[in-house]
Amino acid sequence: MALRSTEKKTLFMLVVGLLSWLVPGAGHFVLMERRRSIIIFVTVCLTFCIGIYIGSIGVVNLFGTAPWYVVGAQIMNSPIVLVLGRLNTAGAYRVYGWPNEIGQIYTSTAGLLNFLCIVNAVYLAQQRGLERA
Amino acid sequence: MLKAIFVIATFIEPEQFGPNPLSMLWLLPLVAAIAIIYKATKLPVIKANNFIKESVILFASIVAFIFVAALTLHALAWLIIG
Repeated sequence: MALRSTEKKTLFMLVVGLLSWLVPGAGHFVLMERRRSIIIFVTVCLTFCIGIYIGSIGVVNLFGTAPWYVVGAQIMNSPIVLVLGRLNTAGAYRVYGWPNEIGQIYTSTAGLLNFLCIVNAVYLAQQRGLERA
Repeated sequence: MLKAIFVIATFIEPEQFGPNPLSMLWLLPLVAAIAIIYKATKLPVIKANNFIKESVILFASIVAFIFVAALTLHALAWLIIG
């Protein structure tokens, strides 16, 4: 059974949102916003990398003592964060004090910025529909 | 190979620094990232000159606001504590 126009549009928005989460900037890339997507990809990845450079991959403590809002914000970066969290299970890479705090702030902020980009990509997809994509 | 191992090692060992005044400079790259992403989502058309100009203005505005807020809080603390 063929999908209706509204269903296609909803599916397209979902795909754009999911792509934006899988790879930062990919949603904008699909929407032919190449420059925007490159800027988003480089900035989000660099911010996340600075975070794990400062505090090591120990700052991605998904199954440990990190507060839920930090975990939620970090997961918004990409599913790769789940892999990093798995590596750090049982506190394999311990980090304390300021490096931990600054690292968590950087990685969480990168995730929140990517969340902003996901919302923006879905909004653009909704505005443009299927015709221009 | 050795260089690659050193690069990976920097990501599994945390940097060593404490709460000193210089560590406050770590906020600058974060502010830059926020300004760039915000402008990347808000500008209708991305053109290099305009994008850089807008991002720099937002970056400077945020840093100036943080500086004023810090000065105000410092003055307030000085007035209360003496």
